[in-house]
Amino acid sequence: MIHLTPSLALIFQEASRAATALESIKHPDLSKFLVIAAILFIIGVAGVLTRRNLLVIFMSIELILNAANLNFIAFSRYLQDTGRGDPLAGQIFTIFVIVVAAAEAAIGLGIVIALYRNRETIWVDEIDLMKW
Amino acid sequence: MILSGWESVFFWVFSIAAILAGLLTVMARNAVHSALFLISSLVSVAALFILLGAEFIAGVQILVYVGGVMVLFLFVIMLVNVGAEEEGRAAIFNQPGQVGAALVFLGLLAGALVIYAIPRGYQALQKRDEAAIQQASAKQAAAEENMDPSATGVNRLSKQTERVGTALYTSAALPFEIASVLLLVAIIGSVMLARTLKQEIAADDVDPEVLGELKQFGVPPSGGRPE
Repeated sequence: MIHLTPSLALIFQEASRAATALESIKHPDLSKFLVIAAILFIIGVAGVLTRRNLLVIFMSIELILNAANLNFIAFSRYLQDTGRGDPLAGQIFTIFVIVVAAAEAAIGLGIVIALYRNRETIWVDEIDLMKW
Repeated sequence: MILSGWESVFFWVFSIAAILAGLLTVMARNAVHSALFLISSLVSVAALFILLGAEFIAGVQILVYVGGVMVLFLFVIMLVNVGAEEEGRAAIFNQPGQVGAALVFLGLLAGALVIYAIPRGYQALQKRDEAAIQQASAKQAAAEENMDPSATGVNRLSKQTERVGTALYTSAALPFEIASVLLLVAIIGSVMLARTLKQEIAADDVDPEVLGELKQFGVPPSGGRPE
């Protein structure tokens, strides 16, 4: 009996931890949104760092900006719930992030077309004119 | 903001869809597939915006990103199609060393954020705001009672879009105007960047000396590839 008690306590502890984990899965809160946004951001950075295709790198940048937008909206909702600060600031910021992303995509794709016309490649490791 | 019931089911469905589509965006061999996976990721994130009560942003996300930017991407993919990538002749990732270093760095970043930084920060935030959330939730329930019912009478109409519009034209009016100037500059810049040498000569804004030299060498009809 004496030997069983600690292991029983351990099982009980594990069960209560599993119950809180299940509870947090059933009721996602702000931190879950932040985790999703962080994972999306990291996937985007991985795309920028590892891909060779310039267009896919641009798409990964859109993914990164989108993760930032998700953070802005989640905190906007949180501020709305706490009643502190301006709850709309996050949404306004998101609109401007989308505007800047659209402008960035237009300029970036213009550069891609000019580059393809001159160098006939969109592999970033072959575009090394300014590399020393 | 604690979701429950169907909201939490939708949260998990759309967040897993967004992450999977994001992963496939980065890993797809064909750039067109990448663009389509990115579209599904963006739509899933728009659904998450609706869960967070930002209906207007979700609409803007779908109209501007999916309807505008991604169509632009697809057009450019069509213009600069490389072919070698899809046939599997060319590597789609950088050299293994670079990829390995990037993945190690990002794995550390993900571990630090997901396991340590976000839960810790959120706990502290919760401890600080516990009383405020209790107070505000009672006020919010009362405010929700006062919202207009929808046509079917099942749910209530949110005033979120109205408030965002008002804020854009009052407190955020200056950045709004600056954004419009930015878009104008972007339009002009991309038109300038994307035109061919032939179009530049036709526009008659080339320096006359340069124009003489170009004519002397004979500009190729394709618009000048310096080869």
